[in-house]
Formats: sequence, structure tokens, C-alpha cells
Amino acid sequence: MEKPPPLGYGLGLRPIYYEEILSSRPPVDWFEIISENYMLAGGRPLAMLERIRADYPIVMHGVSMSLASTDPLNLDYLRQLKALAERVQPAWVSDHVAWTGVHGVTLHDLLPIPYTRESLAHIAARIQRVQDFLKRQLVVENASTYVSFVDSEMSEHEFVREMAERADCLLLLDVNNVFVSSFNHGFDPVAFIDGVPAERVVQFHMAGHTDNETHRVDTHDQPVCDEVWALYEHARRRCGDVSAMIERDDNFPPLSDLLDELQHMRDIDARISKERALTAA
Amino acid sequence: MKLVDFQSLFQQRVLAGSGEADKPLLKKLRLSPRGATAETLLGVYQSGYRIRLAEFVSEDHPGLRAILGDEAFEALVDDYIDQRPSRDPNARFFTTGLPDFMRESARWRDDAAAVSMALFERAMVDAFDSPDETQLAVQALAEFAPEDWPRLAFDFDPSLALLELAAGTIAAYDAAISEEEQDKVEAPPAGDEVEYAAVWRVNYESAYHALEPDEYVALNEARAGHAFGDICQMTAFQQAGEIAPERLAQCLSSWFQDGMIIGVRVLGEDQSSKTPSSA
Repeated sequence: MEKPPPLGYGLGLRPIYYEEILSSRPPVDWFEIISENYMLAGGRPLAMLERIRADYPIVMHGVSMSLASTDPLNLDYLRQLKALAERVQPAWVSDHVAWTGVHGVTLHDLLPIPYTRESLAHIAARIQRVQDFLKRQLVVENASTYVSFVDSEMSEHEFVREMAERADCLLLLDVNNVFVSSFNHGFDPVAFIDGVPAERVVQFHMAGHTDNETHRVDTHDQPVCDEVWALYEHARRRCGDVSAMIERDDNFPPLSDLLDELQHMRDIDARISKERALTAA
Repeated sequence: MKLVDFQSLFQQRVLAGSGEADKPLLKKLRLSPRGATAETLLGVYQSGYRIRLAEFVSEDHPGLRAILGDEAFEALVDDYIDQRPSRDPNARFFTTGLPDFMRESARWRDDAAAVSMALFERAMVDAFDSPDETQLAVQALAEFAPEDWPRLAFDFDPSLALLELAAGTIAAYDAAISEEEQDKVEAPPAGDEVEYAAVWRVNYESAYHALEPDEYVALNEARAGHAFGDICQMTAFQQAGEIAPERLAQCLSSWFQDGMIIGVRVLGEDQSSKTPSSA
């Protein structure tokens, strides 16, 4: 396992912010792109990315690899992804513990799986094949889920830990997803974070979600809530110096609001570092 | 249940939407600790699927929504989602099949104005992310000797689409995307009248303008690789009326100015090409 060096504090790169990023060069350490939005022949998205890439490290985050699907791996998709990675030279490439469709259909969603030994063997083998194809270690993210299954044979964090060990992949810990799924399924989010192999975590996602009282939905359209910030602090204490970022995909605020959220992240981390220094002294 | 069977069942229930047939899948779900019903939680995936795909169509087709009205547009989107599930992992391409779906569908194929708008808007979307090329300025012509001009042929930006549309499509689209006129978009009148349009990309944005019939034919012939001097003589042209060499030169100049042309070459007697340096 080769863990890439941390990049600092990042943001999801979204078209609405292109011009402001290019004109103001905001104090962001890196950007994450949605890979599929740039798997195109040409045009503005790729041109903007190229200009921003000149000044910032980039991480590629996909939503369509369908790692848990029982369909064959989509080699056309993987070829396009690999070509984009060669062009962008990202710090790493990530996708999800999820499937997006079967029988050649794609539902454009991150769909849940039962956490069974069969699912585990299946996804671990697929991740290995993808890593061989891309010739790089994959970073795999825990997804938000709204249903869980009576057939599951293990907890989600046990599944993620075993998957990462078997496939020898890295992990993207989405702290908001941990919170959303823990709320929906009634597990302890702290136990989840304590259960994943910290040495494999290379990135944190932070985002807002929608509270529907009986369930929460991962909508990325609101600021990060206090409970997720508290969980972030726990994840930071456990995983140490890991690249962290804010995802925002709807109800876009001024860029300065997202920069404020990044600053909040920096403040939490500075406080943890200070406490550690005092304890060590 | 094997993973393969579980995924088939789950997908079937998402595609179909909530209903009685959800029962076998609902039995597989654990109870919510928060009191949400299993139907509600499965519904997050079922409703999310349709909302997401409908958003893709709405984003790409403001003109189509404007001329159909919300109710008919949503009915069309429902039909499309039901009958043409997405097969491309990139959501960008979900809407690509909409105009063809409309032309093949008994319910929509007779609405020429709607099909025309769908074709126009697809061309706009396709132009936006088509391959990058470098456009030439009209000064590129100065590199060719005057005696070569009749044998000049042109290469066009890959984003360029030439469309025959129902008359009124472009005006309806203009109104649909204009903040002031959005509420008073009129569907193009029914009938056999047509208009012509060029759609392409310039400065990273999709662009369009209406073409006169003679320019539409000239541009089609030029894009097919015919030499400047041959175009006036072409049979296809005669159907659209005469075109004088001066008019063709004027068109050519505007194609350069609009950023449509990416290459110029001299056609030999055998239709082989020569670049300016070898001309």
C-alpha cells in the first residue's frame, strides 16, 4: 500500500465557480472533479479544468464505476477514465462502494448492497481488476444509504475494512455519509469511524444533507451541520493528516461560504494539533 | 438471494416506481429505527431516479418545455424515462436519444414543432463539448494564389451542425431562453414550412444562427468537401435558387468570421488536397 501525501484542504470543482477561481485564485489547496463531467471530447469543461490544473492539484472522483454491480466491468468507461487520468495527472482516483445498474442500464445513483460475504468477494475482486487496468491504487468511498438488508452478514464498517484489506485499496471516508447512514440505520457513527482502517484513509468528504425527520438524504445542498462537524473532529483525531474537502452540488452559495467552511475545518485541526502539542509537552 | 438476483429485483423496482410489486423487495429491508416505512425508504431511490433523469432533460431542453407547456413536457419526459432507460454511464448523454425517441413514438412524432425543437437543442448540447479545433481567420486565404481560389475546399469545426427545422423553431428558442420573453413563447405554427440553422461552438459556448436557403445549401456542399468554384454549379444548388459567386464569397467570409472554418486546402484535378505550403 502506498499512501499519497496529504494535499490539505480542498473543494469540489463545480462550473458555477470556474470564473471566480480563475480570477481570484482562492486559498484552496486542491480541487476534486467529478470525473464523468470531464470525460468529454472537448469544450469549456476541459479547457477550464486545464487552466485550473495549472495552479492546483486535482483529485478525480467518479460516480459511475459501479464497483458492486454484477454486470461486467464497463471497459469503455474505464478506458475513458484512464485517458482523463493521463491528461489530468490527478493525485488519486476514487469511486464508491455502490452499484449504478445492471443489464446494461444505469440509474445514475449510488445504489446499496447487502453486506454479505458474496458481495465482499465480488467487490474486492472488481476493485483489484480496476486497479490492474488503471495501473494505480483506487480510493473507495463509503456511500450514503437509505435502506439496509436482512441478508447482510456484517456491519458496513466491517465490510469496508475487509474490502480494503482484500483489494489493497485506499479509502475515502465521507463523514457526512457515515452520519446519514448511521441515522437511517441506527448504528453508532463513531464506531464506524473507529472500525475503518485509518492507515488506508487518504481523504475526507464533508457535505450537507437534508433532514426528513424519519430519514436523512445526502443532498449536498446545505452547509455542513454541527453533528457532522463533531464527527469530523473524531475522524481527524483518529486518521490524522488526511486531505479533507467540502462537497457542494446544489443550492450553490457564494464561494466565500465554502471557503468559510474550509476555514472551520482548519480551525478544528489547529485546535487538535495544539492539544496534542500540549499533551506531548 | 444471490447478489445478481438482488440487483435485478432492486433495479426493476426503481425503474417501475413504487407499487404492489415492491413487496418481495420490501421484505428484504430491515426496519427503520426511526419509524420510516420501508416504502418511504425505497421511495428515496424510486423518486430520486425519476427526478434526476427529468432534471437532465429539463436542463438540456428549455425550448421544448416552453413550447409544449409543463404538463405535456412532463408527460414526454415520463414516456422517455419509461421507454429509454439510460445506458451510458455518463449522465450527459441521457438526453441524446430524445429527438429520435420522439420521431419513433406514435404519441410525439406528429408534433413537428416539438421534434424540431428537440433536434435543435440536442445540436446545442452536442456542440458544447464536441472536440476542440483551432479556427482559422479569413486571412488564411491570403496564403493561396488567386488562381487556386476556385479549387479551394474547407474543413469545418466538428461542432458544426446544419439543421432543417420547422419554421419558427429559432424564434421560439430565443424567447424560451430570454428572461423577458420566457412566459410568452409561442409554439411554431403547424405546417410544412421550414427554416434552416447552423449550430456550432465558438469561444467555448454553443452558438446558432438562422441560414438563408442558399447559404444552407452552400454550407452543406462546402462541408461535404466540394471546391469553392464548383459549388455554384451544383444541382443541389439550383433547387434553392441561383447563387452568384459574390454571394458565395460573402457567405465564406461570414463562415470565417463566425469561427466555423478550421482548414483550407486546394483540391487537385483528382480531388486530392494540397496544403498552402505545397500549393
